[in-house]
Amino acid sequence: MSDSDRAAGGAEPAEGVDRHPEIDWIAAERSPEFRELVKRRNAFVIPATIFFFAWFFGFILLCGYAEDFMGESIYEGFTVGYLIALSNFVMVWVIGALYLRQARRVFDPLAKKAAETALEAGRRAAGAQGDRPPLAGHEEVTP
Amino acid sequence: MITFAADVNETALSIFGLVVAATLVITYWASKRMTGAVQFYAAGRRITGTQNGFAIAGDYMSAASFLGIAGLIFLYGFDGFVYSVGWLVAYLTVLLLLSERMRNSGKFTIADVLTFRMNQRPARTAAAIGTLSVAGFYLIAQMIGAGVLIQALVGIDFNVAVIITGCFMLTYVVFGGMLATTWVQIIKAGLLMSATIFLSILVLNRIGWNPVDLFNKARDESPAGDAYLKPGLFLASPIDTFSLGMALVLGTAGLPHILMRFFTVPDAQAARKSVMWAMILIGAFYVMTTFMGFGARAVLGTAGEEAAGKGGNLAAPLLAEELGGGPGTFGGDLFLAFISAVAFATILAVVAGLVLSASAAVSHDVWTNVIRRGRAVEREEVLVARIAALSIGAVAIFIAILGGAGLNVSFMVGLAFAVAASANFPALLLALTWRRFNTTGAVTGVLVGTFSSIFLVIVSPTVWPGPDSEGGAFGFYDLANPGIISIPLGFIGCWLGTVLSKEETRAERGFDELYVRAETGLGAEVALPAEAPQAPPREPGKVPASAM
Repeated sequence: MSDSDRAAGGAEPAEGVDRHPEIDWIAAERSPEFRELVKRRNAFVIPATIFFFAWFFGFILLCGYAEDFMGESIYEGFTVGYLIALSNFVMVWVIGALYLRQARRVFDPLAKKAAETALEAGRRAAGAQGDRPPLAGHEEVTP
Repeated sequence: MITFAADVNETALSIFGLVVAATLVITYWASKRMTGAVQFYAAGRRITGTQNGFAIAGDYMSAASFLGIAGLIFLYGFDGFVYSVGWLVAYLTVLLLLSERMRNSGKFTIADVLTFRMNQRPARTAAAIGTLSVAGFYLIAQMIGAGVLIQALVGIDFNVAVIITGCFMLTYVVFGGMLATTWVQIIKAGLLMSATIFLSILVLNRIGWNPVDLFNKARDESPAGDAYLKPGLFLASPIDTFSLGMALVLGTAGLPHILMRFFTVPDAQAARKSVMWAMILIGAFYVMTTFMGFGARAVLGTAGEEAAGKGGNLAAPLLAEELGGGPGTFGGDLFLAFISAVAFATILAVVAGLVLSASAAVSHDVWTNVIRRGRAVEREEVLVARIAALSIGAVAIFIAILGGAGLNVSFMVGLAFAVAASANFPALLLALTWRRFNTTGAVTGVLVGTFSSIFLVIVSPTVWPGPDSEGGAFGFYDLANPGIISIPLGFIGCWLGTVLSKEETRAERGFDELYVRAETGLGAEVALPAEAPQAPPREPGKVPASAM
């Protein structure tokens, strides 16, 4: 068995954490499927996070430093500030919906593939070791 | 106008009674299904995404949202709405950075994720300090809010109101666990949305269905005039506003009672769906705070300011009373009673979620993983959780009564968000994304974040000189909101502690497991099977409710 699942090492495994000797986590982390998943997810999440931070804190800064601009009337009592505030609501819903769509179409299938690869690698590693049963409990010692 | 608080409002009491009776039936039903820890902490992980979305909304929108924001808009106009925006935008942080990863890597508490690859005893202890600080400050703030509101709205004495609130909260948590708490929150979300839509329609009807007129009428009724419709009346210091924004947007992603909700759904797909539902509900609600807040200004005018009390908390109930026909009329009494009952349900749902998350930190983190070093059996852990809930509830009731109505509520809520953003959020995010991050880093990060927030809030102008009103001293000395300093400090604490300590092989190796698990769901906790969950053979099926 590879030593990859010995995260809990010498100390007791946490009660809150299930250890899975049948999965080769290091191989999983290095697999192209997992790399692809992380790359694609980051390609969405990082720009989206920067965007919504910029949008929201832009609004906050305008509130702080451009009070008169924010107080300008667009139509009678409806102000620029109020419009920008409302735009934050739309921004949240749109980014949320886009993320959910992307997750369903791209991330979920990739995650499934990466998980299968990891399980496959774990089985192979266990098989190669021959005499050790693949599901040999939680306390096995690594050399 | 203020005379309605003089004696007990029977209409309000009977509507309270109805709401409470419904929640008690649910608690009884949930207690019959109590089978063990997964059921107690996570409702068997069988809550659907949609249900969880409603429950998150119910868990999140406290009296500070319902009455507090309506009151702030009523008093200060535009600035009150800034809170609405921040509290919603926060959910993008939760959705994009944490919701699915929490579901995939955790079991019952945020410490499960935070300490996944850490040395258990020190890291769990630190994580529990973070969780208990946030839940504790928030809980006491809500209890005092409950006491003040019930006293004003129903006419029950403050101390009695706090004790009643505490008893219901404990009944839900101790007997019904997460399942009862979830359904209390779902019902509350439904009630709150209905009440808000109802009030909004009445306001629009009163002003003639033109929302723009609402702003004009509100401005005409405000002594501040045009300034009422632009920023600066309440949030006077730009840096302080920025700091507040940081705490709102990052703090929500560190609230233990919100993050705990992600353990109640079957998988990551349901977790993200639940955030989307929560964003729709919470967003719709906060848009409607416009109608309640500006509506209260347009309808009640300057004359309503005294009756609305400190922070304008009673503006929404007074608005309902006025729109129902005015004080003393049947319609006015009925609407006031309805809104009061909704406010009560609102508080109950939030405090139940808070007590549950705090008791999980005590039993699952401190008792099982620190004191018993992971060797406590499940029945023991659930028993400890119930005892912990009772103790935490009792302490919260005691402090709320001791502090009384004069204790500064906004300071406690601000503190809760500051600690959540400065202690819990940085450590959680780094645990999930930074390979080198280790036990020392997690411990220093959480402790630096927690204590710098507490220190900065204590020396802030709203607390130190001692005005006990909301925002009384904003802006003349330093910052009222510590986020802009304490959040970077939390991150620096995590980073310094990590790089100054030896590389921790175990933590770095465990990163592969946590990383793959968080991103793919491989090895994640599974939901209990549908119906007839396997009863533990050792005992007669259920953990008897009386076992607490």
